[in-house]
Amino acid sequence: MPEPAAALRARGLVKQFKRVRAVDGIDLTVGAGERVALLGPNGAGKTTTLMMLLGVITPDEGTVELVGRALPGQRSEAMESVGFAAGYLPLPERLRVREFLELFADLYGLADGREAVARGLTRFRIESLADVMGNELSSGQRTLVGIVKATLHRPQLLVLDEPTASLDPDVAHRVRGGLERSCAEDGTALLVTSHNMQEVERLCARVVFLARGRVVADGAPDAVAARFGRDDLEGVFLHLAEGGVDPISDARAVS
Amino acid sequence: MRAQRVRAIARRQSYVLRRAPQRWFDVIVWPVVDAILFGAIGVYFGRQHGVASATAAFLLAGIVLFHVVFQAEISLATGFLEETWSRNLLNLMVTPLTELEYGAGVVLFGLGRLAIGVSVVSVVAFALFAFNITNLGLGLVPLVVILLVVGWSVALVVIGLILRVGQGAEILTWGFIAFLLPMSGIFYPVSALPAGLQPLAQALPTTHAFAAARALVQGHPLPWGEVGLAAAGAVVVALLSVWFLTRMLATFRRRGFISRHT
Repeated sequence: MPEPAAALRARGLVKQFKRVRAVDGIDLTVGAGERVALLGPNGAGKTTTLMMLLGVITPDEGTVELVGRALPGQRSEAMESVGFAAGYLPLPERLRVREFLELFADLYGLADGREAVARGLTRFRIESLADVMGNELSSGQRTLVGIVKATLHRPQLLVLDEPTASLDPDVAHRVRGGLERSCAEDGTALLVTSHNMQEVERLCARVVFLARGRVVADGAPDAVAARFGRDDLEGVFLHLAEGGVDPISDARAVS
Repeated sequence: MRAQRVRAIARRQSYVLRRAPQRWFDVIVWPVVDAILFGAIGVYFGRQHGVASATAAFLLAGIVLFHVVFQAEISLATGFLEETWSRNLLNLMVTPLTELEYGAGVVLFGLGRLAIGVSVVSVVAFALFAFNITNLGLGLVPLVVILLVVGWSVALVVIGLILRVGQGAEILTWGFIAFLLPMSGIFYPVSALPAGLQPLAQALPTTHAFAAARALVQGHPLPWGEVGLAAAGAVVVALLSVWFLTRMLATFRRRGFISRHT
């Protein structure tokens, strides 16, 4: 029987960098409109996994299908329906915010780029930044503009790597609010990495924990915490960060 | 290939040139300096032998055509470097933009930049030394095309090396061109080079293009044999550079070198 339509489907992803096995056989599916957090301590393989899912890094083994299109052959078509933003990405210098966003509207092939830019700036309440140069923005403003960029084309899948890292609570709140509106209005599926477990619990209905390049837990936040015998995701995170996981014996934690 | 994406990349490059005064150095300052330097050298040495204008024409034709290679290479290579300097590579790689569209966009913008650079050196040569490059006639057209292809090919190799070894390779943007300048016999026939270097010089397509240009300056018809050698060499260099860049891009993706640029 064919599997149901998914925003993302990855099977058996493996990536080895010299002696380090960064990703070790990850399977991951994100359903249409589903909100999933990819969690784990530093070095767990989150960013490498995201980069493979987006076609930026070639996996040693495994397959990736984005919005029904297989990578790497259909990467360009797939990316018309996928957005990506990361808290660590700067805006290119020498571009005003509006120019930056219109550039990406064109790269996404939007016919109404200016309208999409205006709509995105309004959604995240940053209309006043439209004519500011990219290098004059604070890190929070930069993050907001990055997310506007990633949602300009109303993607079916939005991938965010540490979107609210180093943001003050007010801006982080605004980012979350904008994301929730964006996902609700456009039916966008969300795959997000974050070290902020409260944010994850608010944004996502499902969490996938990685440790040492493997999926060690996958399910609803409460259920995952319960399986590890912790009160919340923070407890699971700390348990994994302290090396308290044996992916084989903890395989039962994978739902 | 989507024209909208190609135009977007060309537009992005134009913003950079407009807002980064230092980028005008390659486009305006170098051409002016080169035209004055080589024009004056030509006039001075020419006077020693009573043929000032002929010697100046010889050198100025060489430097004008050299700027075709230089501007083509610099515009493509620095266009890519701009993305690494501003850490914009990952932003671009997670859009539908293909490598071909990106290259086409930078080349499209580069053609405009090249037109400015070559115009500047030509106008200065004409205004200060009464040397009119267009007097060389339509024979210039195939030579310019060949030199463009070589310039872009060198840029693709430089981009491949930057992908492979990181930003440390950016010095080669200017380094490869500096190597081509003496080795291509721009101002002199290959026989003037030390004997050990002559086989290498003969293997360069630019050497044959400049030899053909010298023939035009001397009032001879276009030597099609030299043009053919230059064209064949340019095709080989272009194919090799595309193959090299493709390999380097595959290595870049396989080894996760994007982490160097984020």
